[in-house]
Amino acid sequence: MRVLLDGFLRVFSSLALSVALLLMLGLLTWLGTLEQVDHGLFEVQKRYFESFFLVHHAGSIPIPLPGANLVLCLLFVNLAVGGMARMRRDRRTAGILIAHAGILILLLSGFVKMYFSDDGHVTLFEDQRANHFESYYRWEIAIAEDLGDGRLREHVVPQEDFADAQGDRTARLGSPELPFEVEVSHYMPNSRPTPKGPMFEVAVPVVDGVFLQGRELAAEAETNIAGAYVSVVERDGTRTDGILWGMDAHPLTVTAGGKDWAIDLRHERYAMPFTIELEKFTKVDHPRINMPKEFSSDVAVIEGEASRPVKISMNEPLREAGLVLYQASWGPGGARPGDRLFSTLSVVRNPADKLPLYACIVIAAGLVIHFTRKLAGYVRREAGA
Amino acid sequence: MKLLVAIVVALTCVASHGAAQEPESRRVPWSDGIVELAESLPVQDGGRVKPLHTFASFTLLRLNGKRSLTTPSGERLGPTEWLLDILVFPQTAIGYRQFLVQNDEVIAAIGLSVDERKKRDRYTFEELRPGVGRLFELARQYTLIEEADRSSVQQQVVHLANNVDEFMRLAGHLDFARMRLRVGAEPEVAELFDASVVPFHAVVRAAPGLHELADGVAGRGEALAILRAAADVGGASGSLALLPPVAPVDDEPSWLTPDDVFYRSYDEGRLADEHAEALRSFVALVDARLDPGAFERELAGLHARLTGLAEARGEYASVGLEVAYYKAKLLSWSLYLFVFAFLGLAFLWLRPRAKVLYAGISGVAGIATLLLIAAIVVRCVIRGRPPVSTLYETVLFVTCVGAIVGLAVEAVNRRRLALSAAAIFGMIGLFIANGYELLDKQDTMPSLVAVLDTNFWLATHVTSITIGYSAGMFAALLGSLYLLAKLARFKRDDRAFYKGLARMVYGVLCFGLLFSLIGTILGGIWANDSWGRFWGWDPKENGALLICIVQIAILHARMGGFLRDHGVCAAAAFGGTVVAFSWWGVNLLGVGLHSYGFTSGIHDALWTYYLVQWAIVGLGGVAWLLERRNAAADRLRAVPGRPPEEIAESKAA
Repeated sequence: MRVLLDGFLRVFSSLALSVALLLMLGLLTWLGTLEQVDHGLFEVQKRYFESFFLVHHAGSIPIPLPGANLVLCLLFVNLAVGGMARMRRDRRTAGILIAHAGILILLLSGFVKMYFSDDGHVTLFEDQRANHFESYYRWEIAIAEDLGDGRLREHVVPQEDFADAQGDRTARLGSPELPFEVEVSHYMPNSRPTPKGPMFEVAVPVVDGVFLQGRELAAEAETNIAGAYVSVVERDGTRTDGILWGMDAHPLTVTAGGKDWAIDLRHERYAMPFTIELEKFTKVDHPRINMPKEFSSDVAVIEGEASRPVKISMNEPLREAGLVLYQASWGPGGARPGDRLFSTLSVVRNPADKLPLYACIVIAAGLVIHFTRKLAGYVRREAGA
Repeated sequence: MKLLVAIVVALTCVASHGAAQEPESRRVPWSDGIVELAESLPVQDGGRVKPLHTFASFTLLRLNGKRSLTTPSGERLGPTEWLLDILVFPQTAIGYRQFLVQNDEVIAAIGLSVDERKKRDRYTFEELRPGVGRLFELARQYTLIEEADRSSVQQQVVHLANNVDEFMRLAGHLDFARMRLRVGAEPEVAELFDASVVPFHAVVRAAPGLHELADGVAGRGEALAILRAAADVGGASGSLALLPPVAPVDDEPSWLTPDDVFYRSYDEGRLADEHAEALRSFVALVDARLDPGAFERELAGLHARLTGLAEARGEYASVGLEVAYYKAKLLSWSLYLFVFAFLGLAFLWLRPRAKVLYAGISGVAGIATLLLIAAIVVRCVIRGRPPVSTLYETVLFVTCVGAIVGLAVEAVNRRRLALSAAAIFGMIGLFIANGYELLDKQDTMPSLVAVLDTNFWLATHVTSITIGYSAGMFAALLGSLYLLAKLARFKRDDRAFYKGLARMVYGVLCFGLLFSLIGTILGGIWANDSWGRFWGWDPKENGALLICIVQIAILHARMGGFLRDHGVCAAAAFGGTVVAFSWWGVNLLGVGLHSYGFTSGIHDALWTYYLVQWAIVGLGGVAWLLERRNAAADRLRAVPGRPPEEIAESKAA
């Protein structure tokens, strides 16, 4: 046991492992950069950087590689054991230890961001308001129950529960509160509803003359539109078939158990603890050329009865109740002067928001201490020589 | 569509003038006084106020491939003189060979003959004129093709069409000042004017009245005809915004062309006296074109009027400085001095004890660096920005930091090595800066997109990243020198020489890591503040990370004993290509948030560098193997009892 632990510590604290991990991380970073040309950032990020293992295709040769996530986890251990716990501690290594501590904070903030943060956007025309933001990439199925007095009660199913129901595989979504189950099949991350013509056959069901056509994943992942086939199966076995598509203007409606229900596939929504209203969006170009100089959104942050004005502009986000709102973009793309514009604010909930800044300060301090020591030594030696 | 309209107008202007009167020409060179006044006229172009000299330089560079032009009569014109000729004597300027065509297939494609012309040659507007219609037609088709997918000839057709269009706009710019209209056929119209033949500014003044007549019945026909004529010549003036608004900058950021002034008077009945007077000055200026003395007086009047308006808005402060910056040619002088220092160093290595030579060369390299620093500082003052905000400026700054680091190290160790490296680095860096400017042919002090409009982050993140690039490249240069010296068996027995060199590489790597790492993290913090994510695996971010990883890996491999001096130098030399990939290579990928800047054509230069640098690393490996074999052979020969002198001799042989 003792031997095993010692061996483990020796391997994990070795400089050889550090160098090997760094080189592997460098290789992954390089490959992941080049792959973006063909596959877009989002896909590459999932495959190369957020994964534990991957298979890289160099031409037609498959090469199995560890993912950057695994490499960074190992690096974290290597650094904590070899670069902190088991390292000599004296005046000569003080700077190094501090810098290593900073890197650990940085890696930690990365893990926190990856596993505990939400991000999305809220897009508003002037005078519109919202109290939630929605994901760019993730989908959910919302089952809304008409309570009869003008109110709706929503049952929300996250993407994990139906994303595997691809092809003929099915996922059954249900809850004791619902008088039916929703059977999902043929989930497609990117799809378009297409009319079925008489001249061709399709391998998927056709509902009311329309079928879902699957598409390649787009390089710009936020342009993917998910779709799926659903069957609403009531307790007595009655089935109602339908198609859900992410950009449908109207949800699928069914009547069951004496009530009306609306089923909708939409981008995942996250509630905000306040409401935001876009009062004015401003876009200023440089004089006489078509290049934006600045854009900003004047918004009202409304909490209960209280409302206060805030200006959100490039490089100046709003930080409020654990959320950060950024001026991300605007549209529509081909707008002419005088057209009604919308403003897109990116919204991020990241518990580690400020950690990189602290890490940066710690690392800078450590490196400055260490290298100043080295430099002073060098100058002394050269002057003595 | 806009392009086509402009063509028709400009074409008719140039053509009608050519036909209507004897081609007149300038009889004497533009006097220094005239040139000085003209070059310091402010103009709003590319989103900022700049001297006419800067505008003329980059326009001439785009058309002619260089910043001067030789006329058929052998006169050598600077950019401002050339622009004056186009504006004031367009009939002369159409005969200048000012359109550089890289490949005569372009000329053949627009249906013109290329007999007796070189493949790469310059053409006059007169020569191109018969093919201009076809040129624009082709260019319109080719612009529908993605730039990356265009063939070289297609790209050159588009380029030539843009240049011809720009020339025609400039040639027609002062048409408004040449125009005279006969008015007063209708009494209602005559009432609006106090003469029967009137210039443009009188029409501008009368525009609200003419507008009213045009909406009514009496005098409608003539009013419409006058307005149409004024709109036509005004439209030709659309390219140079020389007239500052009277209102403060915040209320009215955009400068005006004569066309704008006309429409403002016509549409809104608004005409500032200053603008009416300025238009009158343009007319007087053109009238005085054949009398150099009178022309200079009129130009001085116009200059005072326009700069007065710009000054009142606080937009003239750095125009004079910018003219001085370009005329002083600080960067050219710096480049010459670096080259001179480099040549001197060749002698210095042959005569190691020449103290005066050493001091002299150090001085020259020092002055070259100071000139470079001065150039960067002046650019900061002109734009009110930190030193680096464009790709071009990264080159200047990287060069400058490398030279400073080299000279500082030299001051400490006085081994001549760092001095040599500083001179080489300065020379190559400024050569690249110059090449980039000639390739890009755009103003090197452009307006910045919204996200870059932050002096805090430009000063911190961009500056530290760029210092990191500089250190990485400088370490690569020193490492390469080490490898090449080993290969050439230079000073092969001087262990201190190699030890010292390797130690410098190590030191510069440490310096570089500090700035690369801090710069990269600061970039993340900036991204977190403006886009909401600290790190997004964007290509530019990855490039910066790669630099950090390589430098950290080298330092740890050295620590662990996996790399010795030779290995560290080879790794640092390889690291240069990683820096180059991050600095230039990722921009060529064409993806991500950071893919700014003009980069086509840089591809070849970048790959040349990669290959040269990798070859040096490879040769360094060969040198290492040879050294090991020789060492083994020496050990074999060093049999016991053999005197050491003998071994030394056999080595020397």
